[in-house]
Amino acid sequence: MAEVENLSAVLKKKGELVLENTPIPLPGKNEVQLKMAAVGICGSDVHYLVNGRIGDFIVKSPMILGHESAGIVSALGEGVTNLKVGDRVAIEPGVPCRMCSFCKEGRYNLCPDVFFCATPPDDGSLRRYYCHAADFCFKLPDHVSLEEGALLEPLSVGVHACRRAGVRLGSRVLVLGAGPIGLLALLTAKAMGATHIAITDLDQGRLDVAKKLGAHHALRVDTRDAEEMARRVEAALGCKPEISIECSGAEPSIQTGIYATKSGGVLVLVGLGPPTVNVPMVSAALREVDIRGIFRYANCYPLALEMIASGKVDAKPLITHHFPLEKTLEAFETSRTGAGGAIKVMIHCDQ
Amino acid sequence: MSGTARNLTAVLKKKGELVLEDTPIPKPGLNEVQLRVQSVGICGSDVHYVVDGKIGRFVVNSPMILGHESSGIVSALGEGVTSLKVGDRVAIEPGVPCRMCSYCKEGRYNLCPDIVFCATPPVDGSLRRFYCHAADFCYKLPGHVTLDEGALLEPLAVGVYSCRRGGVQLGSNVLVLGSGPIGLMCLLSAKAMGAAKIIVTDLDQGRLDMAKKLGAHHALRVDTQDSEEMARRVEAALGCKPEISIECSGAEASTQTGIYATKSGGVLLLVGRGRYHLLLPIVNAAAREVDIRGVFRYANCYPLALEMIASGKVDAKPLITHHFPLEKTLEAFETSRTGAGGAIKVMIHCDQ
Repeated sequence: MAEVENLSAVLKKKGELVLENTPIPLPGKNEVQLKMAAVGICGSDVHYLVNGRIGDFIVKSPMILGHESAGIVSALGEGVTNLKVGDRVAIEPGVPCRMCSFCKEGRYNLCPDVFFCATPPDDGSLRRYYCHAADFCFKLPDHVSLEEGALLEPLSVGVHACRRAGVRLGSRVLVLGAGPIGLLALLTAKAMGATHIAITDLDQGRLDVAKKLGAHHALRVDTRDAEEMARRVEAALGCKPEISIECSGAEPSIQTGIYATKSGGVLVLVGLGPPTVNVPMVSAALREVDIRGIFRYANCYPLALEMIASGKVDAKPLITHHFPLEKTLEAFETSRTGAGGAIKVMIHCDQ
Repeated sequence: MSGTARNLTAVLKKKGELVLEDTPIPKPGLNEVQLRVQSVGICGSDVHYVVDGKIGRFVVNSPMILGHESSGIVSALGEGVTSLKVGDRVAIEPGVPCRMCSYCKEGRYNLCPDIVFCATPPVDGSLRRFYCHAADFCYKLPGHVTLDEGALLEPLAVGVYSCRRGGVQLGSNVLVLGSGPIGLMCLLSAKAMGAAKIIVTDLDQGRLDMAKKLGAHHALRVDTQDSEEMARRVEAALGCKPEISIECSGAEASTQTGIYATKSGGVLLLVGRGRYHLLLPIVNAAAREVDIRGVFRYANCYPLALEMIASGKVDAKPLITHHFPLEKTLEAFETSRTGAGGAIKVMIHCDQ
């Protein structure tokens, strides 16, 4: 195994994840080659492994996993001037076409032709060597670790969510769901100046982490009665939050988000769940609670990096488990089951 | 009764029981004007209160005067009124907020929890000969704007507000779902705001014909519950997906169509009211960043609505299909309820 030049984690098909060699890629124009270092496991990676698909994205042929990653520049493609060999970088996994109207208008996350690591049929970065567009690699200051570089990906989701929600100084925010995304939304909201943050989850362990990370109120969900949960949120906060960020995708949680949010406020949907959901739409519409979805992020990596580099946000507590690339299967199993209080499982690709 | 009643008034005694009776002539309070009511349009919500006795948590628990889309002539001034004089012809914006809460102070007075809104229980409306209202919520009509048009400013304000919340601007491609009075007002507003292409959907061909007369570029008849199919047809007709969709029916299938049809990164406005719970493809909207924004009445829209009419940019008169005197209020409501004779906006005239 140690002699394999480019050991890669390949999802051959649903349920079949293997480690095998793949060719070492060479950097094309405006690309860099990276010696991969840290790759975090996302719920979507696990979902592709277990279900073989997410919505219309179906694993039809073998695909390399991994999209939350950081590495060290090992070679430069033609035209690259912003990076040099040896630079430690965080990798923003989605490279858009740069030519369509979405790209030109700055909403490149909506580009229909975006290349995105580990979204079928695009290969991801969970391997020893990987190539990527140089302008989507962000150089890390010395004091920011490669693991933190990998965390910039889910942190960017938190940034995009809080931006679209309009979180700012003084905001009162409800975060529904205390998994990695909910926790990063919490950290981001705090950094952006939210003064009252309540968070909900089914699991007490996750709520305990949320409180350690600065949530002012942590409410355990023990009922499907969304109006009741909304009442509890208002009671805990002393008011209705003007912003709610839903990070679980579960129907009762979305309903709670609608009922709980102040009139004229915003409910941001980050979590993705079943395609059709029963929602009390009239409550949202009559009270002008806007509902805004989140799809990945755009133009968030620079701010996410600044938040970490400046010390405004410490996301390291989210990393609970470490595995070498060789133990990828165990890493995925840990992430899938949440065993040992797993939140963010990090895989190390460097030998 | 009608000949001698000084303030003949349309009162909803309780669900299903609409009568005409005399009520005291009100006197204008501080900063109010007394009005000789002229034109009052019937809204779907008025009909709904008559038929169902409630809309959501607004329940008719005691007799209530109907009417909220109205215009009148100032007949007396309350203390402190300087913006109007007796004889002025005005359009009446029916919702007067508290002016003190944070919603009011932030300009979103339509969300004021203590707003006094004509003909929303328990507040009495303007469907009577004499009525009093806050002077600053009465807008003087230029000589060439009719009192009927003054009454139309109310539903037109809903159209203006919807288009504003949706960000309709020069060049926008807009889908309007539902071609009733509100859908038609959204159509007229979107056109005035510079929309490039507007497509309208409805179950009824007659209403679609009216939409085309009023300037819709495409009119699609809904003949299936398959909302993805309807969305495909919208895109085929427009040649692209609309970036703004305005849902004016409240129907579940139509709301679903609104989600599927809208371009990624766009907006779906919900103006129509339907069932409290809807089964919606939320993930489709969320994953494509199609924002869903509700519309509740309007705020700061009457001035623009009046300007649109006064300038001739919008001609809303074709929406008025039927006229009745106040004495024939019951027939007026029946016409509105059934849509008989192609009824769109039924106007009641309160002056003798």
